[in-house]
Amino acid sequence: MKMVVVYQSLLGIYGDQGNSRVLAQRARWRGIDAEVVFAEPGSPLPDDGAIYLLGGGEDAAQTTAVRALKEDGGLFRALDGGAVLLAVCAGYQICGKTFTIGGEAEEEREGLGVLDVTTRRGPSRAVGEILTHWTRPDGSDYVLTGFENHGGHTFLGPDATPLARVEVGVGNNGDGTEGAVSASGRVIGTYPHGPVLARNPALADHLLELALGHPLEPLERATEQHEGLRRERFAFVRR
Amino acid sequence: MADRVRLGAATVLGDAAALASRVLGKGSGASIRGQVLTRVHPGAFTSLVKGRRIASVTGTNGKTTTAHLLAAAIRAGLGGDAQRLVTNADGANLHYGIASALAKAPRADIAVLETDERVVADLVAAGHPEVLVMLNFSRDQLDRNHEIKFLARSWRDALQRAGDAGPVVVANSDDPLITWAVEYARRVIWVDTPSRWSADAVLCPACGGILERIDPNADEPQGRWDCPSCDLTEHAPDYQVRDGLIALPDGQVVDPLLKVPGSFNVSNAACALAGAVEMGVGVEDALRGFRTVEAPAGRFSVATFGDVSARLILSKNPAGWAESLALLSTPTVVLAIDAVAADGKDLSWLWDVEFEQLAGKHVVCTGPRAYDLAVRLEYAEVSHEVVLDLAEALRSVADQPQPVDLISTYTPFQKLLKMAGLR
Repeated sequence: MKMVVVYQSLLGIYGDQGNSRVLAQRARWRGIDAEVVFAEPGSPLPDDGAIYLLGGGEDAAQTTAVRALKEDGGLFRALDGGAVLLAVCAGYQICGKTFTIGGEAEEEREGLGVLDVTTRRGPSRAVGEILTHWTRPDGSDYVLTGFENHGGHTFLGPDATPLARVEVGVGNNGDGTEGAVSASGRVIGTYPHGPVLARNPALADHLLELALGHPLEPLERATEQHEGLRRERFAFVRR
Repeated sequence: MADRVRLGAATVLGDAAALASRVLGKGSGASIRGQVLTRVHPGAFTSLVKGRRIASVTGTNGKTTTAHLLAAAIRAGLGGDAQRLVTNADGANLHYGIASALAKAPRADIAVLETDERVVADLVAAGHPEVLVMLNFSRDQLDRNHEIKFLARSWRDALQRAGDAGPVVVANSDDPLITWAVEYARRVIWVDTPSRWSADAVLCPACGGILERIDPNADEPQGRWDCPSCDLTEHAPDYQVRDGLIALPDGQVVDPLLKVPGSFNVSNAACALAGAVEMGVGVEDALRGFRTVEAPAGRFSVATFGDVSARLILSKNPAGWAESLALLSTPTVVLAIDAVAADGKDLSWLWDVEFEQLAGKHVVCTGPRAYDLAVRLEYAEVSHEVVLDLAEALRSVADQPQPVDLISTYTPFQKLLKMAGLR
């Protein structure tokens, strides 16, 4: 099973490569052969990955990444073939139809168009811990914890559904929603890093299940550490 | 004259507040002294930095140690006149801390100032430093990351405005953001340090293009960095650090024989040496001064906590942790993590540090955010345990060979210094 970290040097500023470490280990600990590939601009992006990961970065990095991904085409071929994509923060924004860059003079840029969302600059920057509620495929509620740091506000179109509902924090734009999921369910965008999968192992397992096409048994390994961290973060945010 | 009287009164009140802070056990009092001082006399910073010869040190990592090395070098150069030098040796490096240190030494005509990145522009404008050492510039506190380019621009603008009255800049030629920020400096002394080529530095700060490595050779196998889309490129160095040695502009190679550990401190020493020479200190004097620096502001000190002793290493960000992990030499190590404002509230950088290299060691994770580290170590397959309380974590390593190596983020580090009676 191949995980592709897309342009980590451009979009990986918030420890986002940690998402690939979590996915790969959770696969390996279940006896699944997992490989992590770091793809950088200038080299062809592998189009045979099972899961693709995009992370956070600056304005200039967003523009450069979109241009390079469009020229390369590998990511689009992979998604057409059924690959799964997790896009975080600036990576989430570039997955949309449009996003904006710049300070006072806000400029609109075309995104990758793999999520039906648009992003423009919000009135103030969202920086801090965030707690949201994600409804898992089995209908159960799972709390997602993370750290958000974004100046953009994201609005969903008809072909996207929110990933989660906000309990504490800002999320997409202050309307109580966080993140977006494509109609196929295989492209997921979200603001929190932390990195997000290190804080939320159930979301990591959901991505693995999407990519493998079958449910996975719960994992004993790392449970104690994850629960300790989640307990501590929940208590901190809800204090 | 009125200004001097007002400054004098403000200083007395600041001293009283600092004393109160020390008596109450809240710290050294440097910061509170500065706060009271600047409250009573808002222009204190501007007044106090005027009329002295100033050498300033800034950058993301290594500011405190480099400022200590530079101060020691200048003291060695001054010989019996060492009291002419003032420095904010405790690491209080914002307006308050600098004002506080200078107010205590009205007669000192030479100042070595560790300067927070956010204060550099004001210091250049108000204090006209003779020398400004710029070590490196990478993401430090992630929750403040969006400020990086803004800060670099503030330095660039300040140096441009200062023009011919600006400082001689000692700059790390390996760092593209610094190279861009000092483009308008009156004069630049370039120091080439072993590359810490990082993800932060990959985009050209001038034009947003992707930087490349060109001209690899035996001396620099990675080559030098260059922007293929604009003119920004790595400059030829005046000083060069290779294999723990420093090559001087005249070609002579010296061994700094530092008391502080780590190859990164050789890079810091090269920058301090270049700064000292620009301040008029001879190389021999500077090197002699360096050897008096052992535990700048408690960093690298061996501290005693009852039956346990620990070597205290401070690390504040991924670049710092990458350097510090390589220093760990004991089989069990204590790693202390917090994420309040002074540490940076965003801990996601833990995932950019290669903790995998600790395989074979046992880690005691401590501090309020110990569980963030425990998750990271579990995925790195490094043996560990969580002991949230610092004192308890230290007691848990009492059966280990002493001193035990300990790395900490900023806030637990200050607590440890206090627990050990070092501040």
